[in-house]
Amino acid sequence: MKTLLQFLIYMLLAVVAIVMGVILGDYGSWYFAWFVGTAMIVLVAAAGGAWMDAHDGTVDESEPAGH
Amino acid sequence: MIDSTVVELSRWQFAVTALYHYLFVPLTLGLSFFIAAVETVYVTTGKAIYREMAEFWAKLFVVNMALGIATGLTMEFEFGTNWSFYSGFVGDIFGAPLAIEGLMAFFMESTFVGLMIFGWKRLSKVQHLLVTYLVAFGTNLSALWILIANSFMQDPVGAKFNPVTMRMELDSFSSLIFSHDAQAKFVHTSIAGYVTAAIFVTGISAYYMYRNRHMAMARRSFRMAALFGVLATAGVITLGDALGFVGGQAQPSKLAAMEAMWQTEPAPAAFNVIAWPSQDQKRNLFEVQVPYVLTPLLTHTMTQEIPGVDWIEADAAKRIANGIPAVAALKVLSKDPTNVDALAQFNSHQKDLGYGFLVKRYAPDQDVEKATPADIQKAANDAVPNVFAMFWSFRVMVGLGLAMLAYFVLAVIFSVRNDVENRKWFLRLAPWMIPIPFIANEFGWLTAEIGRQPWTVYGLLPTWMSASSHSVGYMVFSLIGFVTLYTVFIVIEMTLMVKFIRKGPSSHGHGDHAPPRPALGGRAAAVAMMRKED
Ligand code: HEM
Repeated sequence: MKTLLQFLIYMLLAVVAIVMGVILGDYGSWYFAWFVGTAMIVLVAAAGGAWMDAHDGTVDESEPAGH
Repeated sequence: MIDSTVVELSRWQFAVTALYHYLFVPLTLGLSFFIAAVETVYVTTGKAIYREMAEFWAKLFVVNMALGIATGLTMEFEFGTNWSFYSGFVGDIFGAPLAIEGLMAFFMESTFVGLMIFGWKRLSKVQHLLVTYLVAFGTNLSALWILIANSFMQDPVGAKFNPVTMRMELDSFSSLIFSHDAQAKFVHTSIAGYVTAAIFVTGISAYYMYRNRHMAMARRSFRMAALFGVLATAGVITLGDALGFVGGQAQPSKLAAMEAMWQTEPAPAAFNVIAWPSQDQKRNLFEVQVPYVLTPLLTHTMTQEIPGVDWIEADAAKRIANGIPAVAALKVLSKDPTNVDALAQFNSHQKDLGYGFLVKRYAPDQDVEKATPADIQKAANDAVPNVFAMFWSFRVMVGLGLAMLAYFVLAVIFSVRNDVENRKWFLRLAPWMIPIPFIANEFGWLTAEIGRQPWTVYGLLPTWMSASSHSVGYMVFSLIGFVTLYTVFIVIEMTLMVKFIRKGPSSHGHGDHAPPRPALGGRAAAVAMMRKED
C-alpha cells in the first residue's frame, strides 16, 4: 500500500512537472529555465557535498546528541 | 507643477531606501536555496554534520531576512506617500502584483521560516526539508511579484490608458506576468542572489579554514557553495545577456546610454570597452573601442542597427509633437468625457501620450499646445538618461560578474582537488570577496533604474509628474530619518552576523579545534583530516 502511495505521489509530481513544462515552455521560457536551472544548481551543490563524503570514504555519523 | 527639488528629493529617498533594502535581499534569495541543498544532503545521507551546517546557515539567513523585510515594508508605503500621482495612475496594474506578493509569497515565506527554525524537533526530516524548500520558493516568489511590477515600469505591457477614468487599466494579466522583460529580470535577479549567497558562504568557510576552525563544516560548505556559485554565475551572465537583449528592444534609450553610443553607426557597430562620456558635449571625451563587437553582442545579429543618442532624441521630438494633441484632447475629456471629437483625437494620438506629457514642464503655463520647437527640443533631450552613470554602472556590474566567475572556477578546481586549504592566498582572498556581489547587485539596480529615466513608466509617465506635492522640509527630514534608521539596521545586521560567525556552528565535537594540519600535501592531508574529524 505504501509503495503504491509513493508511486502515485511521484506520478503526480511527474505529471505536474510535465504540465508546467508545457505551459511555461510556451509562454514563460525564462521562468521555466529558472525552475530547471535552480533545480540543477541545488542538486549539483548537494551532489558536491555527498560526493565529498562518499569519495573520501569518511565514516558514517549518527544524529548529534541533544537534538 | 510639483517643485523640482521635491521630485529630486523623492527620487533620492526612493533610491536610498531601495539601495539599503537591496543590501539584504540577494542574500535571502540565494541562501534559502543553499540551505535547501545542504538539507537535501542531510536527508539523503543522514550525516549529522549537514544538519549542523543547515542550522548554522539558517541562523544567518534569518537575521538577514528579518532586516530585509523591515527595510522593504517602508518602501511599499513610499509609493503612496511620495509617489501618489504615479500610484493613482498605474495603481490598477501595479497594485495587483504587489498585493499578491504580500498575500501569497510574504505569508508563505514568513510562516514557513518559523517552522524552518523552530521545527527541527517537531517535524520529520523530510517534512523539515519540504518546509525549507517552501521558504526558498516563498522568498523567490516574493521577488518575482515585485520584479513583475518593476518590469511593468520598464516595459509597460498588458495595460492601456482609459481617457474616461484618466488612469491606466489592466488589459491582460498574462501579458503582464509573462512579459519578456519580467521573465529575464526575475531570473537574472534571483540568480544574482544565488551568486551572492555562494560568495558569502565560501568567504566565511574560507575564514574558518584559514583559522583551522569548524573544519568539517567549512570544507563541505565551501565545496557546495563553490559548485552552487560557478553555475549561478554562468547563469547570471547568460541572463544578463538576455536582459540586455530584451531590454534593448523595449528601452532603446537605456541601451544607447549603457553603451555611450552618441551616434547611430552602421551595423556592425563598435563596442566601447572604456569611455568618458560627456552629456553636455554629446560625445565621449575618451574611448577605447573594439570594432564590430557591439551589434552581435546586443542584437545577436550582424546587421541590425542600434539606435544612438542622436536617433533617440530625433525620435523623441517627433513623438512629442505627435503626443501634444493627445494631451490636449485629454484636457477636453476631463471636462466633458462624452466629447466625441476629443475622443477621436485622443485615440489617434494616444500612442505618444507620454511624450506629450514630457513637454508639459517646459511649455508656457504648462499648456502643451503653446509649446515651441525649442521647448520640444529641450524635452527631447531629456529622453536620454545620464550616459556617464549608465555606462559605468553597467560596466561595474559586468566586470564584477566576470571576476566572480573566475573566482568560482578557481574555488571549484581547488576544492575538487582537496587543495583549497593549502592555498593560503585564496583563503585570505575569499572573505574579501564577500562585498563584491553586493556591489554588483547595487550597480545592477542603478543601471536598471537610472536607465529608465526620465520615466517612472517607460514612455507613458514622466518622473517629474509622478511625485507627491510635499514640502522640501518634509522630504529632507524624512530622508535623513530613513538614512539614520537604515544605517542602524545595517549596523545591527553586521554586529549579529559577526557575532554568529565568530561563534560558529554548535559543534557537537565534529568540527571545532580540528587537529593541526598534518605535514601531508593537498588531497592526502585533507582526506586524512576528514577521517580524524568525522
Ligand atoms: C556579467 C554579466 C552581466 C550582464 C550582461 C548583466 C546585465 C544586466 C542588465 C542589462 C541589467 C539592466 C536590466 C534592466 O534594464 O532592467 C541588469 C540589471 C541587474 N543586474 Fe546584471 N548583468 C550582469 C551581471 C550581474 C551580476 C554579477 C549581478 C549580481 C551579482 C547582477 C545583478 C543585477 C541586478 C540586481 C540588476 C537589477 C535588476 C534587474 O533589472 O534585473 N548582474 N543586469
